[in-house]
Amino acid sequence: MFAVADTCFLIDWARWRRRDALFGVFRTVFVPESVLGEVRSEATLSWVVESMAQGRLSLFTETPDLIEEARSLVERTRLVPGLRGVDLPEAVCLVAGRRWRYVVLTENRGVLMAADILEEYRGVRVWRALEVIAAALRSGVIASSRPAEVFAEYEEDTKHFFPRRDLEAVLHELGGEA
Amino acid sequence: MAASRWLELEREAREVRRRMADWDFIRRQPLRVRLALEYYIETGDLYVASRIAGVTVEEMNELRVRANIPNVA
Repeated sequence: MFAVADTCFLIDWARWRRRDALFGVFRTVFVPESVLGEVRSEATLSWVVESMAQGRLSLFTETPDLIEEARSLVERTRLVPGLRGVDLPEAVCLVAGRRWRYVVLTENRGVLMAADILEEYRGVRVWRALEVIAAALRSGVIASSRPAEVFAEYEEDTKHFFPRRDLEAVLHELGGEA
Repeated sequence: MAASRWLELEREAREVRRRMADWDFIRRQPLRVRLALEYYIETGDLYVASRIAGVTVEEMNELRVRANIPNVA
Protein backbone atom coordinates (compact mmCIF):
# COMPACT_ATOMS: atom_id res chain seq x y z
CA MET A 1 0.00 0.00 0.00
CA PHE A 2 1.30 3.44 -0.96
CA ALA A 3 0.70 6.73 0.80
CA VAL A 4 1.53 10.39 0.26
CA ALA A 5 2.27 12.54 3.31
CA ASP A 6 1.78 16.25 3.74
CA THR A 7 3.98 18.43 5.92
CA CYS A 8 1.78 18.67 8.99
CA PHE A 9 1.55 14.88 9.20
CA LEU A 10 5.22 14.15 8.57
CA ILE A 11 6.78 16.61 10.97
CA ASP A 12 4.51 15.52 13.80
CA TRP A 13 4.98 11.85 13.04
CA ALA A 14 8.77 12.26 12.94
CA ARG A 15 8.76 13.31 16.61
CA TRP A 16 7.21 10.01 17.73
CA ARG A 17 9.37 7.34 19.36
CA ARG A 18 7.71 4.65 17.17
CA ARG A 19 7.90 6.62 13.93
CA ASP A 20 9.30 3.69 11.91
CA ALA A 21 5.99 1.87 12.39
CA LEU A 22 4.85 3.92 9.41
CA PHE A 23 6.86 1.64 7.14
CA GLY A 24 5.18 -1.47 8.47
CA VAL A 25 1.83 -0.07 7.39
CA PHE A 26 2.88 1.32 3.99
CA ARG A 27 5.24 -0.09 1.40
CA THR A 28 6.38 3.41 0.43
CA VAL A 29 5.35 6.86 1.60
CA PHE A 30 5.75 9.57 -1.01
CA VAL A 31 6.99 12.96 0.13
CA PRO A 32 6.25 15.89 -2.20
CA GLU A 33 9.20 18.15 -2.91
CA SER A 34 7.30 21.04 -1.34
CA VAL A 35 7.07 19.04 1.91
CA LEU A 36 10.78 18.22 1.93
CA GLY A 37 11.58 21.92 1.75
CA GLU A 38 9.69 22.55 4.99
CA VAL A 39 11.87 20.21 7.04
CA ARG A 40 14.84 21.91 8.73
CA SER A 41 15.76 20.23 12.00
CA GLU A 42 18.64 17.78 11.99
CA ALA A 43 16.59 15.10 13.77
CA THR A 44 13.72 15.14 11.28
CA LEU A 45 15.89 15.68 8.23
CA SER A 46 18.17 12.79 9.19
CA TRP A 47 15.21 10.46 9.60
CA VAL A 48 13.71 11.56 6.28
CA VAL A 49 16.96 11.20 4.35
CA GLU A 50 17.80 7.85 5.93
CA SER A 51 14.32 6.55 5.15
CA MET A 52 14.64 7.78 1.57
CA ALA A 53 17.97 5.98 1.20
CA GLN A 54 16.25 2.80 2.39
CA GLY A 55 13.41 3.29 -0.09
CA ARG A 56 10.79 3.63 2.62
CA LEU A 57 10.13 7.29 1.89
CA SER A 58 10.27 8.40 -1.72
CA LEU A 59 10.44 11.83 -3.29
CA PHE A 60 7.29 12.87 -5.14
CA THR A 61 7.82 15.53 -7.78
CA GLU A 62 4.76 17.61 -8.52
CA THR A 63 3.99 17.95 -12.25
CA PRO A 64 2.43 21.10 -13.77
CA ASP A 65 -0.89 19.37 -14.52
CA LEU A 66 -1.12 18.05 -10.97
CA ILE A 67 -0.44 21.51 -9.57
CA GLU A 68 -3.09 22.94 -11.89
CA GLU A 69 -5.67 20.47 -10.57
CA ALA A 70 -4.53 21.22 -7.01
CA ARG A 71 -5.00 24.96 -7.60
CA SER A 72 -8.47 24.28 -8.86
CA LEU A 73 -9.17 22.24 -5.72
CA VAL A 74 -7.90 25.12 -3.55
CA GLU A 75 -10.43 27.43 -5.23
CA ARG A 76 -13.27 24.93 -4.91
CA THR A 77 -12.75 24.51 -1.18
CA ARG A 78 -13.21 28.26 -0.87
CA LEU A 79 -16.44 28.27 -2.82
CA VAL A 80 -18.34 25.67 -0.80
CA PRO A 81 -20.06 27.21 2.24
CA GLY A 82 -18.94 25.59 5.49
CA LEU A 83 -15.96 23.88 3.88
CA ARG A 84 -12.60 24.82 5.33
CA GLY A 85 -10.11 26.04 2.75
CA VAL A 86 -7.30 23.72 1.66
CA ASP A 87 -3.88 25.19 0.82
CA LEU A 88 -1.84 24.16 -2.18
CA PRO A 89 0.58 21.70 -0.49
CA GLU A 90 -2.27 19.71 1.03
CA ALA A 91 -4.27 19.94 -2.19
CA VAL A 92 -1.34 18.39 -4.07
CA CYS A 93 -1.50 15.38 -1.76
CA LEU A 94 -5.26 15.00 -2.14
CA VAL A 95 -5.02 15.16 -5.93
CA ALA A 96 -2.20 12.57 -5.89
CA GLY A 97 -4.33 10.39 -3.64
CA ARG A 98 -7.23 10.54 -6.09
CA ARG A 99 -5.10 9.95 -9.19
CA TRP A 100 -3.01 7.05 -7.92
CA ARG A 101 -5.17 5.73 -5.07
CA TYR A 102 -2.57 6.61 -2.48
CA VAL A 103 -3.67 6.96 1.11
CA VAL A 104 -3.34 10.65 1.97
CA LEU A 105 -1.63 11.25 5.31
CA THR A 106 -2.55 14.58 6.84
CA GLU A 107 -3.64 16.29 10.02
CA ASN A 108 -5.36 19.05 8.06
CA ARG A 109 -9.07 19.09 8.72
CA GLY A 110 -9.72 20.93 5.46
CA VAL A 111 -8.45 17.89 3.56
CA LEU A 112 -10.68 15.57 5.58
CA MET A 113 -13.65 17.82 4.87
CA ALA A 114 -12.87 18.08 1.16
CA ALA A 115 -12.62 14.29 0.83
CA ASP A 116 -15.94 13.98 2.59
CA ILE A 117 -17.88 16.75 0.87
CA LEU A 118 -16.49 17.12 -2.69
CA GLU A 119 -17.90 14.33 -4.82
CA GLU A 120 -14.87 13.64 -7.03
CA TYR A 121 -12.60 13.25 -3.98
CA ARG A 122 -15.05 11.23 -1.91
CA GLY A 123 -13.37 7.88 -2.52
CA VAL A 124 -9.92 9.06 -1.47
CA ARG A 125 -8.70 7.49 1.77
CA VAL A 126 -7.47 10.23 4.09
CA TRP A 127 -5.77 9.08 7.28
CA ARG A 128 -4.58 11.01 10.29
CA ALA A 129 -2.03 9.69 12.77
CA LEU A 130 -5.03 8.21 14.58
CA GLU A 131 -5.86 5.91 11.67
CA VAL A 132 -2.21 5.04 10.96
CA ILE A 133 -1.58 4.03 14.57
CA ALA A 134 -4.83 2.05 14.59
CA ALA A 135 -3.74 0.24 11.42
CA ALA A 136 -0.33 -0.48 12.94
CA LEU A 137 -1.94 -1.92 16.08
CA ARG A 138 -4.51 -3.91 14.12
CA SER A 139 -1.89 -5.49 11.87
CA GLY A 140 0.59 -6.20 14.66
CA VAL A 141 3.19 -3.76 13.34
CA ILE A 142 2.94 -2.32 16.84
CA ALA A 143 2.48 -5.06 19.39
CA SER A 144 0.73 -3.81 22.50
CA SER A 145 -1.94 -5.15 24.79
CA ARG A 146 -2.67 -1.60 25.89
CA PRO A 147 -3.50 0.44 22.79
CA ALA A 148 -4.51 3.48 24.82
CA GLU A 149 -0.92 3.81 26.01
CA VAL A 150 0.37 3.84 22.45
CA PHE A 151 -1.92 6.75 21.54
CA ALA A 152 -0.95 8.50 24.78
CA GLU A 153 2.72 8.15 23.82
CA TYR A 154 2.00 9.84 20.53
CA GLU A 155 0.21 12.71 22.24
CA GLU A 156 3.09 13.08 24.68
CA ASP A 157 5.86 13.05 22.05
CA THR A 158 4.17 15.33 19.53
CA LYS A 159 1.85 17.55 21.62
CA HIS A 160 -0.96 16.15 19.54
CA PHE A 161 -4.51 15.86 20.85
CA PHE A 162 -6.78 13.16 19.46
CA PRO A 163 -10.45 14.16 19.54
CA ARG A 164 -11.81 12.05 22.41
CA ARG A 165 -14.81 10.65 20.54
CA ASP A 166 -12.61 9.51 17.65
CA LEU A 167 -10.04 8.00 20.00
CA GLU A 168 -12.69 6.18 22.03
CA ALA A 169 -14.23 4.76 18.86
CA VAL A 170 -10.83 3.46 17.69
CA LEU A 171 -9.99 1.98 21.10
CA HIS A 172 -13.37 0.29 21.24
CA GLU A 173 -12.80 -1.22 17.80
CA LEU A 174 -9.33 -2.39 18.83
CA GLY A 175 -10.74 -3.95 21.98
CA GLY A 176 -8.74 -1.77 24.29
CA GLU A 177 -9.80 0.44 27.10
CA ALA A 178 -11.33 3.81 26.19
CA MET B 1 -20.74 13.76 7.52
CA ALA B 2 -22.89 16.89 7.43
CA ALA B 3 -21.15 20.26 7.06
CA SER B 4 -22.67 21.32 10.39
CA ARG B 5 -20.91 18.41 12.12
CA TRP B 6 -17.57 19.45 10.61
CA LEU B 7 -18.15 22.99 11.89
CA GLU B 8 -18.91 21.62 15.34
CA LEU B 9 -15.63 19.65 15.31
CA GLU B 10 -13.79 22.80 14.24
CA ARG B 11 -15.29 24.73 17.13
CA GLU B 12 -14.35 22.00 19.62
CA ALA B 13 -10.77 21.86 18.32
CA ARG B 14 -10.44 25.65 18.56
CA GLU B 15 -11.62 25.57 22.17
CA VAL B 16 -9.03 22.91 23.06
CA ARG B 17 -6.25 24.96 21.44
CA ARG B 18 -7.36 28.16 23.20
CA ARG B 19 -7.66 26.45 26.57
CA MET B 20 -4.30 24.69 26.51
CA ALA B 21 -2.19 27.45 24.94
CA ASP B 22 0.50 29.15 27.00
CA TRP B 23 -0.73 32.69 26.50
CA ASP B 24 2.15 34.24 28.46
CA PHE B 25 4.61 32.62 26.05
CA ILE B 26 2.57 33.79 23.06
CA ARG B 27 2.37 37.40 24.29
CA ARG B 28 6.16 37.50 24.69
CA GLN B 29 6.83 36.63 21.04
CA PRO B 30 7.76 39.08 18.26
CA LEU B 31 4.79 40.44 16.30
CA ARG B 32 4.80 38.01 13.38
CA VAL B 33 5.27 34.94 15.56
CA ARG B 34 2.60 36.08 18.01
CA LEU B 35 0.09 36.70 15.23
CA ALA B 36 0.98 33.38 13.59
CA LEU B 37 0.41 31.47 16.84
CA GLU B 38 -2.91 33.26 17.36
CA TYR B 39 -3.86 32.42 13.77
CA TYR B 40 -2.98 28.77 14.39
CA ILE B 41 -5.12 28.70 17.53
CA GLU B 42 -8.09 30.05 15.59
CA THR B 43 -7.71 27.88 12.48
CA GLY B 44 -5.39 24.94 13.15
CA ASP B 45 -3.69 25.75 9.83
CA LEU B 46 0.04 25.25 10.34
CA TYR B 47 1.05 26.03 6.77
CA VAL B 48 -0.49 29.50 6.63
CA ALA B 49 0.70 30.19 10.18
CA SER B 50 4.27 29.40 9.08
CA ARG B 51 3.95 31.89 6.22
CA ILE B 52 2.69 34.58 8.58
CA ALA B 53 5.65 33.98 10.90
CA GLY B 54 8.12 33.77 8.02
CA VAL B 55 9.46 30.34 9.01
CA THR B 56 9.23 26.79 7.66
CA VAL B 57 6.34 24.56 8.66
CA GLU B 58 8.64 22.52 10.88
CA GLU B 59 9.92 25.64 12.65
CA MET B 60 6.31 26.75 13.10
CA ASN B 61 5.52 23.36 14.58
CA GLU B 62 8.32 23.84 17.11
CA LEU B 63 6.82 27.19 18.08
CA ARG B 64 3.43 25.50 18.43
CA VAL B 65 4.92 22.90 20.78
CA ARG B 66 6.73 25.56 22.83
CA ALA B 67 3.48 27.50 23.10
CA ASN B 68 1.80 24.29 24.34
CA ILE B 69 -0.82 24.42 21.61
CA PRO B 70 -2.04 20.91 20.79
CA ASN B 71 -2.45 19.74 17.22
CA VAL B 72 -6.05 18.62 17.42
CA ALA B 73 -6.77 16.08 14.70
